[in-house]
Amino acid sequence: MIQLEDLHKSFENKDVLKGISTIFETGKTNLIIGQSGSGKTVLLKCVVGLLEPDSGDIIYDERRLASMDKKERTFLRSELGMLFQGSALFDSMSIQDNVLFPLRMFSELSDSDKVKRAKYCLDRVGLNDAYSLFPAEISGGMQKRAAIARAISLNPKYLFCDEPNSGLDPLTSIKIDELIMDITQEYEMTTVINTHDMNSVVTMGENIVFIHQGEKEWEGNKEELFHSKNQKLNEFVFASKFFQKATDKIYKE
Amino acid sequence: MEKTRALKGLKYICITITNVSGNKSRVKTRFCYTQLLKKRLYKIKKDFLMALLQHVGRYSLLMYQTFSVPQRWKLFLKQTWIEIEKLGADSLQITLIISLFMGAVMTMQIQMNIENPLLPHYTVGLVTRDTLLLEFCSSILCLILAGKVGSNISSEIGTMRISEQIDAMEIMGVNTANYIILPKISGFVLFIPFLVICSMFCGLLGGYFVSLFTDLITPSTYIYGIQYSFVPWYVFYSIIKSVIFAFIISSVSSYYGYYAYGGALDVGKASTNAVVNSSILILLFNVILTKILLT
Repeated sequence: MIQLEDLHKSFENKDVLKGISTIFETGKTNLIIGQSGSGKTVLLKCVVGLLEPDSGDIIYDERRLASMDKKERTFLRSELGMLFQGSALFDSMSIQDNVLFPLRMFSELSDSDKVKRAKYCLDRVGLNDAYSLFPAEISGGMQKRAAIARAISLNPKYLFCDEPNSGLDPLTSIKIDELIMDITQEYEMTTVINTHDMNSVVTMGENIVFIHQGEKEWEGNKEELFHSKNQKLNEFVFASKFFQKATDKIYKE
Repeated sequence: MEKTRALKGLKYICITITNVSGNKSRVKTRFCYTQLLKKRLYKIKKDFLMALLQHVGRYSLLMYQTFSVPQRWKLFLKQTWIEIEKLGADSLQITLIISLFMGAVMTMQIQMNIENPLLPHYTVGLVTRDTLLLEFCSSILCLILAGKVGSNISSEIGTMRISEQIDAMEIMGVNTANYIILPKISGFVLFIPFLVICSMFCGLLGGYFVSLFTDLITPSTYIYGIQYSFVPWYVFYSIIKSVIFAFIISSVSSYYGYYAYGGALDVGKASTNAVVNSSILILLFNVILTKILLT
């Protein structure tokens, strides 16, 4: 479980996060949704420790991030896995070497066991035929899957995904969403996903936090999402005409 | 508040001066312009100094982070070997070509410009050798390599930064400065003496080819010239200088790449800044090292 307590962050007098408090539960896919520029990525970067919040605290299973020393932070980081928006695979390494990288850096397994583990992770995400290929030689969807394989290679307790579906077609997006959900349940992880894709929200939204202009506007799950009377949330959710028509049809039936 | 107080003070000084001189308007105007100019210059100086201090501080912190014990020695040595090949061995070709031609041109220029009949012919070889050893093979070569190696390092690290590869490593708990920058610095610093020695050899060879294929100087006179009054310390001096220059090139370029942000355009800017500032620092340290090592 990850608990956020009154997080504030500003850049050059511009308040990006204005006192966000919430709980991301273990074994669930927790979604942060909101418009572009609402502060989702900054929030995620604060949670993983890439940015220091101005005030407030982040609690990882009763361990406060603000009071951790360097050693404790390094240990915590070995428990984190992150999937970046652009996959962030290392260009100079093959897909297998990308997955092997965290194992080589932090695992005490033998070399053959590390390779076995990397191959297992790649097989798990369906990339059993891309071991020796380089990131530039595979599609966007395959890159995302490779990044997921790298993120889970060290058996993390917490998985963070920054817009996992950006730049993917709807079918591949669904596959990636399903993969993230399966992995979350399989490894009992606390997964936090940053998205503005409504398909993902409908598929995975077990716990949803809606952020508007740096403030937490609404919190709930995917069932509650469509019955909410929050105007800003409804403007965001029903912005797509296609989505609006589809929900109208369901309600009529 | 402060601005109003400063303006009041300025006005008071102007009035006092005009009262003393008697010539009211001219003195007042001249004094105010001078004050404004001084203020503007002070602000420029202050901004420049602040920016300089900021760069020096950030560079020092980055170097502190870089020069720590590698998390995995095996990976560090592997990376260093890759960097030796990429930054060092791949620069060998351009070093040899430039040195060969520069040696040849230098020999021709010196021969054609020596008009004094009292100077012996072997002076050509002697001057070529000393110029190559003292300046060309360390300073000029490093200035050329600052363009090739410096832009390579800063654009590579800058691209890693903007494509979030460095962030991905940091999330894992990797000391990114140590993992990415240290192998580059150590690889280039280790290989530069070899490049310098090759450059010396090729430069002298270029001069020999001139003596062989033209009638400007005979080969035996040229060889006598390059052997005459040889100071072995010049070779070590050149190597010491090049090692320091190699450190400047690799660390300054890494610094600009590491702190790049934005898009492709910003990586280009970082690359340009890396080359320009490395070159300036090389020239500055060239003066300092020459003073320390030769006088």
